Amino acid sequence: MTERARVLAWRLAILLVLVAAWEWLTGIKAIARTPGLYWIDPFFISRPSAIARRFAYLASGNARLTLWQMALSTIQSTLWGFLVGVSTGFAAGLVLGRHDRLARIFDPYIVAFNSLPRIALVPLITMIFGFGLLAKIVLAWTIVFFIVFFNTFQGARSVDADLIHSARFLGGSDRQIMRTVIVPSALAWTFAALTPSISFALIGVVVGEFLGGESGGGLGYLIIQSLGTLNAADMMVALISLGVIGIVMALGIKQLERRLLRWRPEYRGRA
Amino acid sequence: MPARRTRIVLRDLAKTFRDGNRAVAAVEDVSFEIFDREFVAIVGPSGCGKSTILNMLGGLVTPSAGRVEIDDVGVTGAVPAKVGYVFQKDTVLPWRTVARNIAVGLEYRGVPRPERERRVRDAIALAGLGGFEEAFPATLSGGMRQRVALMRTLVVEPEILLMDEPFGALDTHTKINLHAELLALWQARHPTVVFVTHDLSEAITLADRIVVMTRRPGRVKLVHEVKLARPRDVIKLRETDEYGHEYGRLWHVLGEELAAPA
Repeated sequence: MTERARVLAWRLAILLVLVAAWEWLTGIKAIARTPGLYWIDPFFISRPSAIARRFAYLASGNARLTLWQMALSTIQSTLWGFLVGVSTGFAAGLVLGRHDRLARIFDPYIVAFNSLPRIALVPLITMIFGFGLLAKIVLAWTIVFFIVFFNTFQGARSVDADLIHSARFLGGSDRQIMRTVIVPSALAWTFAALTPSISFALIGVVVGEFLGGESGGGLGYLIIQSLGTLNAADMMVALISLGVIGIVMALGIKQLERRLLRWRPEYRGRA
Repeated sequence: MPARRTRIVLRDLAKTFRDGNRAVAAVEDVSFEIFDREFVAIVGPSGCGKSTILNMLGGLVTPSAGRVEIDDVGVTGAVPAKVGYVFQKDTVLPWRTVARNIAVGLEYRGVPRPERERRVRDAIALAGLGGFEEAFPATLSGGMRQRVALMRTLVVEPEILLMDEPFGALDTHTKINLHAELLALWQARHPTVVFVTHDLSEAITLADRIVVMTRRPGRVKLVHEVKLARPRDVIKLRETDEYGHEYGRLWHVLGEELAAPA
């Protein structure tokens, strides 16, 4: 067995043991034949079998709002929030990173806004943008922007001055140097921010969906609805789906990073 | 030999750096001239300001006093045209392959693609980098990276080449190989070269004239003409009596600066 297969086998074994223990423990009654009293109550954490049934139901066409529709809505909002946040954060970081005076002027505003707990903005954003897609995107953006901004800013500031000098001696104009030296150099820093960014975008979107109601759709809505009906199985379906979405998105980012940063020694031969 | 045209003039050059509240004089009273197509080396103990002089030539550092002129035009804060600069530090772009690194200056200058590719191919062959066109710098040795940096500068055909201890971080063997290559390239195109080094053998091997600096604040201690015939064989040269004679004389002068109490 190769090392890779061995690790994979262990992972699978742990998952199986956990799921089996969950199913078994939530099936043991505290007092025999008395309904309702469990050592570990499935009312709160549900059971794998119940979750699977709800999963099948929500994924089928019979549900009013299917799991696919909700997942799609969440993914869509997350990707938009991520894209808008990354592009604006990158542009702002690049500009402020290369202009000392602008950076000094904007510094207190950026620090102040960034130290604001983003969740406190949710009601205001809802008031302005309503309950739909836009509100969720804006919320994700307020978080992603700053993560990407700070990293790109650092990256743009720490571009090796001699790289810029030597590019100038080779005849590079300011614009050419920006494109061929500063942007690629800062990108390495920006990429370090992308994996946390996609996770935070997802957080922003789900929080937005908590408040958004059915018009916003999404898995956050399923969670809040399940809270209203005290339905732990549906809640677990939403959580597991969010977990899968988060992992797939993070893997996508890693692939992109490997492709774009293939010049770095740590990615050599793996692109 | 044609009449020698003066290419670079340094006149009463001085540079003082601020270190907190202290003013530190790096160089003082530096005046000399460099002729067209000449190979001049600047040697001196570390901290004598030889790199500072080069940076003032390249417009990277503004002199505190005095003047630098290239082709009768004052160098003022900006990077002068026709000047190439090879840094001691590795300045190849790590995200570009060898071929694209060498091409970058031609891209900046808007050289059309077919000509660009041709010139890059020639440069790669000349530097013995064949087979490494698509390699990223991180996979190359220090000597190969410095070859890339050198070819990247030479491919745009600068008339004046400023070199700041370009081989300082390399082992002796690699260094001597690069000396031979540099001399061959210089022989072929004859740019005016100003070469800063702390390695006396390197200076004697390469240069027509050697400017010896005093320790800080750096002043010109001696301008010495190297009387060794060209073309020079970088390996056999070191076995000759003439080389030994040059080395002995310069070492004596430089030694006074190294031994003097700081």
